[in-house]
Amino acid sequence: MEARNYIDLLELQARIKESIADAFPGRYWVKAEIASWSPRANGHCYLSLTQSKGGKSVAEARAMIWSWKYPLLTQLFETSTGEKLRAGITVLVQVQVNFSELYGISLFIENIDPAFTLGEKALERKKAIEKLTAEGYMDMQKELALPELPYRLAVITSKTAAGYGDFKNHLLNNPEGYALRLDLVEALMQGEQAPSSIISAILEVQEQPYDAILILRGGGSELDLACFDDYDLAVAIATCPVPVVTAIGHDKDVHIADMVAHQSVKTPTALADLFLEAYQAQDAILDRLEERTDNAAERLINREELKLKTLDSNIHRAIQRRVSALEMLLQRSVGRISRGLLQKYAQVAKLKDNAAHRLQFAASARIGQAVSNIALKEARIKATDPRNILSMGYVLVTGKDNKVLKTVRKVASGDRIGVRFQDGSLSAKVDQVWEEDIKKTNIA
Amino acid sequence: MSEKKFDYAKAIAELEEIAVKVENPETKLDDIDALVGRSKQLLEQCRAYLRTVKEKIDSLDKE
Repeated sequence: MEARNYIDLLELQARIKESIADAFPGRYWVKAEIASWSPRANGHCYLSLTQSKGGKSVAEARAMIWSWKYPLLTQLFETSTGEKLRAGITVLVQVQVNFSELYGISLFIENIDPAFTLGEKALERKKAIEKLTAEGYMDMQKELALPELPYRLAVITSKTAAGYGDFKNHLLNNPEGYALRLDLVEALMQGEQAPSSIISAILEVQEQPYDAILILRGGGSELDLACFDDYDLAVAIATCPVPVVTAIGHDKDVHIADMVAHQSVKTPTALADLFLEAYQAQDAILDRLEERTDNAAERLINREELKLKTLDSNIHRAIQRRVSALEMLLQRSVGRISRGLLQKYAQVAKLKDNAAHRLQFAASARIGQAVSNIALKEARIKATDPRNILSMGYVLVTGKDNKVLKTVRKVASGDRIGVRFQDGSLSAKVDQVWEEDIKKTNIA
Repeated sequence: MSEKKFDYAKAIAELEEIAVKVENPETKLDDIDALVGRSKQLLEQCRAYLRTVKEKIDSLDKE
């Protein structure tokens, strides 16, 4: 058997190394996506680069950054792009192809071009914005309206974020004492997992009766903001039926999340103010209404008061006029009346005197008449008194029945009669009766 | 505040109506007192409403 020629592995690897060194003598700028990224404790960083096509990986290579290059390269990249070097981003790296007999091919990263990644990012962002615009997501949230008085708020943030405390305090301990309800929904606010974490938080709260959903990044590193340019997150925000307000807090540029949201503000305090201002606006409306009503009422009352005052002074003046007119009249009248009264008084006094005289006169005349009448009547009465007649010698004869007899015709002989004198009476028996013709008889 | 749910928007509308009425010079002085009184009452209710914790909803605050 013929002995074969062979070389050992080391020699093979050494030859490969040599060929590679010949074939790739310098440094090459290579565009690739970082597939994995692992800084080690020794300061070196090991990574793998990849290229995909149609979702499939079509090329892969191991790479490394030496510890003496690592801080400089990463810092430059992060400050320029605002993004951390990590898996998933596309970079333009300057590499030296190295072959190690022990480890095989490895790309030593000499330099990273931040401008390229920025451009890539911008391009990616532009594409995402174009897509969102074409699909109608950009303005969906703008068509929603915050209630006049937003009350129930859900805030998606990380509880440990510094900004959350500021926000909560500013919102709930407002000096005006407005009452709002705030619910915390925790989510990852940075890193690769942030978009999906925020999306699931949005989906969780959007079915509940919230007036607004807030996405508050609440501080942290200014790096790693790429998650807020995420297409899927943008769609979740856009299609949320509740108004979404973002406070991602990055002054340098506006994120897609901000663009699709209903509104966006820069700081946690501004976020709280947005809602407090709605309440202040209502308070201002109330103040204005109160002022309007009060002023109008005051004007009306003043007007009425003025009317009353005018009326009052008119009445006062009228009374004054009337009183002075009456006073004048009265003075004149008093003059006239007092003169008239004096005259009348004198007249009356005179009349009274005359009347008294006349009365006296009349009275004494009447009395005199009366006295003489009485004397006359007395004389007449005296003249007819039977006792006077009896004293003159006449007697009264009474019959059986003791009645005065004025005729003899009722007397018969034998009758008993009474005879009355001035000083006594007697009884007698009729002896004989002579009747005379009354016409012939002369009584005297 | 009343037992019933306070209707803030309705109260604002009534306040507006009252302002218009009071501003109208035709309004009788006799009615002004009642209108201003009602307005004060509504204002007080509205201002309290802005500062009152409304009906509870389930908290999503996860410890």
